[in-house]
Amino acid sequence: MITAHGLTKRYGDRTVVQDLDFTVRPGTVTGFLGPNGAGKSTTMRMLLGLDTPTQGRSTVNGRSYATHPAPLTQVGALLEARSVHPGRSAFNHLMALAHTHGIPRRRVEEVIDLAGLTDAAHRRVKGYSLGMGQRLGVAAAFLGDPATVILDEPVNGLDPEGVLWIRTLLTSLAAEGRTVLVSSHLMSEMALTADHLIVIGRGRLLADTTVAELIRSAGGASVRVVTPQPEALKAHLTAPDVTFTVTPTPTPTSAPEAHELRIRGVDAAHIGRVAATHAITLHELTPQTVSLEQAFMDLTQESVNHRPHRQHEPTAPATGADIGAAA
Amino acid sequence: MTTTHPAASPPYRITPPRILRAEWHKLRSLRSTWVTVISAVVMVLGVGLIMGATYTSGGGDSDVDTVVLSLYGSMLAQIFLVVLGILMTAGEYATGMIRSSLTAVPTRLPVLWAKAVVFAATVFTVMLATSVVTFAAAQALLHDTDQAASFTDPGILRALLGNAAALTLMGLLALGLGALLRSVPGAIGAFIGGVMILPEILGMLPYDAVERAIMYFPTQAAGALGSATPIPGTVSPGPALFALSLWAGTTLAAAALALKRRDV
Repeated sequence: MITAHGLTKRYGDRTVVQDLDFTVRPGTVTGFLGPNGAGKSTTMRMLLGLDTPTQGRSTVNGRSYATHPAPLTQVGALLEARSVHPGRSAFNHLMALAHTHGIPRRRVEEVIDLAGLTDAAHRRVKGYSLGMGQRLGVAAAFLGDPATVILDEPVNGLDPEGVLWIRTLLTSLAAEGRTVLVSSHLMSEMALTADHLIVIGRGRLLADTTVAELIRSAGGASVRVVTPQPEALKAHLTAPDVTFTVTPTPTPTSAPEAHELRIRGVDAAHIGRVAATHAITLHELTPQTVSLEQAFMDLTQESVNHRPHRQHEPTAPATGADIGAAA
Repeated sequence: MTTTHPAASPPYRITPPRILRAEWHKLRSLRSTWVTVISAVVMVLGVGLIMGATYTSGGGDSDVDTVVLSLYGSMLAQIFLVVLGILMTAGEYATGMIRSSLTAVPTRLPVLWAKAVVFAATVFTVMLATSVVTFAAAQALLHDTDQAASFTDPGILRALLGNAAALTLMGLLALGLGALLRSVPGAIGAFIGGVMILPEILGMLPYDAVERAIMYFPTQAAGALGSATPIPGTVSPGPALFALSLWAGTTLAAAALALKRRDV
């Protein structure tokens, strides 16, 4: 369990993380999502006590990370930036970390096997590929067999086999009841692994939700219907959460009397059945889905830090008015 | 809160001896450690043997202290040990290792103390042994000259201990500088400029007060520690040890403050 309360980080007058509140629960993979520069890494570093928040606090399993008597057994972390001396072998790197907690050599060998580094364990890290480096990071995160795992962009730069390995690992960790927080700037990756999503942009919390909910709130799954009898159709689709958007003249090719409806809350099959039962003419019946990627883009668009067409990036976080103007 | 951990966790816990053990493992698992320490030993021993072999009674070096003469290579050894100290701290920032170290020990300060203790114990042991062996070897060559001396002569053992202590404290000062500046070239530059060159420049100033103060500067104090007989213009070994400890201690304290306060 990880909690953040009003977590804020400022560097001078630049606010990198602003007033973040969230909870990461055990037994699920929580995706920590945001464009590059959104403040994901800074937040993770604050969770681990590497950066001190300007305001607010965070706890891991009930207390701040630094106050745990055996932090490696509470939280395992894979940081984005390499955190290994390239002159040391994987074994020596892990053994040095293990010594701080009295973790035995047996466990070091176990995590080396788990990460698939057995053959390379006594080679210097200098010669490792990016994927092997990530595997070493994962091995280090598992040293203390922690109940909570924090991984910063674990699939970055990995080959397909490595990506698959990370995905399987994340899912199995959550299945074991662990708390898993994994950051990414790729929605598609999160869609495959995460159950829950925390989306941030420019250091602010944009959404704390499930994958399905995110799609729905981004105006996802709807059905496009073209019919000359919109009122009749509306009258017969009476479920409580059904919504309609009516556009009088849909497309140049449509019949002139037709109207386009955008219906949310029921699926195309149901609309088709209702129309057939009540003899309502339909010209078109098309399910429309917003991809997760699109939902993510819509959500974070106002908060993307590095948009090329913008000449002057405000140093202070954009106010609501700024966002509105820029969007 | 209730743990969701699949199995009962073993009693793993951070303790000071364990952090020491971790730092010792880190120190000995790097090639650079072996290179710098062996180079330091070779410098002292090699220069000592050359001094012994080439010495002639009544020559230009007759007025040089016997221990200083035998351990002349310590000046060169110091450079290697300073680099080792800086690599131990600033090196972790250069490679990113510091993030792993401080994630494992998030209270931070014990990591710095452990580094200082491991460095001091290693360097003092190695350099004391090197000093004793080098002195004995040089004396084997100097026995029939006016530099002949034995371990039992007054001041000899104290100077051999003092030489090892001086090298250790200089190295600790550098280790502290490395932790403070977080950059290997930066710390080496600061050491050369601040510790080695600055006193020389200040020494040119025509003020007695400055001259007296310089006697307590690291290089001068280190020189006083490694001599069996008093060197003109230096303080006696007791105050020299105190001054050098204070330099190293103050630098480490500043490094500790920075480590506690700054983001990693």
